[in-house]
Amino acid sequence: MTQDLAIRAEGLSKRYGDTLAVDGVDLSIAAGQFFGLLGPNGSGKTSTIHMLSTLLRPSTGRAWVAGHAVSQDPLAVRGAIGVVFQEPALDRTLSVWENLRFAGRLNGLTLAEINARSAQLLELFGLADKRDRSVGALSGGMRRALDIARGMLHQPKILFLDEPTIGLDVPNRRAIWRHIGRLRAELGITVFLTTHYLEEAIDCDEVAFLSAGRIVRSGTPATLIEQLGRTIVEIESDHPQEIADRLAPRFGVPLIEGDTVHFRVDREPAELGSLQAELATLARATRWRRPNLNDVFLWMSHPALQRRNAA
Amino acid sequence: MRPEMIVRPIYAVLEREVLKMMAQRGRLLSSLVRPLLWLLVIGAGFGAMQSRHGGPGYQAFLVPGVLGMTLLFGGMLAALSMVNDRESGVMRMLVIAPIEHYWIVIAKALSATLAALIQAALLLVLLAILGYLSLQTSVPLLLAGLVGTAFACASLGLLVAAFSKTLDNYATLMNLVIFPVFFLSGSLYPVQQLPPALHWVATLNPYTHGVDLLKHAALSSPAGAAAPDFSVAFDLAMIIGFSALALTIACVRFSRDEANEPLIHRLARNRAD
Repeated sequence: MTQDLAIRAEGLSKRYGDTLAVDGVDLSIAAGQFFGLLGPNGSGKTSTIHMLSTLLRPSTGRAWVAGHAVSQDPLAVRGAIGVVFQEPALDRTLSVWENLRFAGRLNGLTLAEINARSAQLLELFGLADKRDRSVGALSGGMRRALDIARGMLHQPKILFLDEPTIGLDVPNRRAIWRHIGRLRAELGITVFLTTHYLEEAIDCDEVAFLSAGRIVRSGTPATLIEQLGRTIVEIESDHPQEIADRLAPRFGVPLIEGDTVHFRVDREPAELGSLQAELATLARATRWRRPNLNDVFLWMSHPALQRRNAA
Repeated sequence: MRPEMIVRPIYAVLEREVLKMMAQRGRLLSSLVRPLLWLLVIGAGFGAMQSRHGGPGYQAFLVPGVLGMTLLFGGMLAALSMVNDRESGVMRMLVIAPIEHYWIVIAKALSATLAALIQAALLLVLLAILGYLSLQTSVPLLLAGLVGTAFACASLGLLVAAFSKTLDNYATLMNLVIFPVFFLSGSLYPVQQLPPALHWVATLNPYTHGVDLLKHAALSSPAGAAAPDFSVAFDLAMIIGFSALALTIACVRFSRDEANEPLIHRLARNRAD
């Protein structure tokens, strides 16, 4: 029953001194899936990746990656996975090719294998003409792409990506996602992603939200968004509490963020009538839109939704 | 485990070390200038003072010592790459490779040994050109002395690196380790003439025995200028014993993931700030 699972974890926990960074995480991720572990900074995403990739010993709990137990058989796990860390693992003083050759040899590949695969990966990531360039001279986006190529050189079955787009501008973030999409399409690998840019996780097959080391919500992005309601209404006002009190009977419990009041409503925008006209000068602006994963995260800790989860 | 899964990673570490050393001309140059400065300036100065009493010249005595100095600085600075790699993030590539983590320490010891030997080989060429080498040199003893000293110094460097979290810390330890090791050896004066307490420290210093092997090799002319202080067997036993002990401690220390945990934890904390 577990052979089709790329990653399985049972009660995985990590304690540093008296802080519990990861608190009883359970995971079961099928082979070939695109899985996203989401959550704010410091929620335990990186510690979870480090335990699954055998670099940290779990305080309690167990995990299997590519069918191997992380605590008993770390070498088999490391041979089957590629890891792209939050901070690049490249030697900036060496060239692109020298870095790939170093990483390839560390993974036990022959020079012929490294040559063939790095040519393929550099082509895929649009770095073919940068082979002899010093890594220090590459742009941030190219460096990240090279780091992913570095992680894929030994053809792992599972690729861990820890915040792959952190610190990159929008065009470079899009490029990184295109590369990851191509890798998945061409090689059918399992991808385990962590990110706090929630909108980037929309293409994931499944996501889990981590908060203070615990998984608080999980499911497909579409389901999680659907559960939230059909429309998000945002009203900007100098008197958010007044707006909240006035509309709560009609739209349910609001979420107030600064001077913006959010409502989740299970109606189409057309059915909402002209709110702006109704609120007149009380509202500076009124908007409605489809909910997204950011809304899922915002409403996750909200009492109204928690009641519904419990029910 | 198939042997090529160990041999290839070790080769990768050696190859990278040589690449980096060739790129750092300053490092190579200083590895040659420092010993020549000692030999030609300090050696000449003390030699002038001593020549009134006759006997073989002080410069001839210094030849094994300055060769050892190149190995000591070369080996320890190359072992510094362990701390450097941790700071620059390259260590991530090493720890995620499918090899036991103690192989990283062994690979680094071998690469630091190789770096030190390349520097010593360049110095030997210069010494030969300057006429400081004797034709009666014993090649097997010279090789044993070079390799043994380089490996012992690399092991010492890794032992220090295994207990250093940051580069600053390491630089401090270098000053606390490298100079006492150099001064409390037979590099500058015969160990036999040291006061008893210092004599004991020098006898326990593995680097003393590396230099002593080089003295056995009768490198310098006139022959017999630098008389060895210990037997070849004792020198070899001290070098092998120390290197094995230092590397074992470094391997055990590095293999425990707790050694890497503070780093990971610190990165996570910085991010939250």
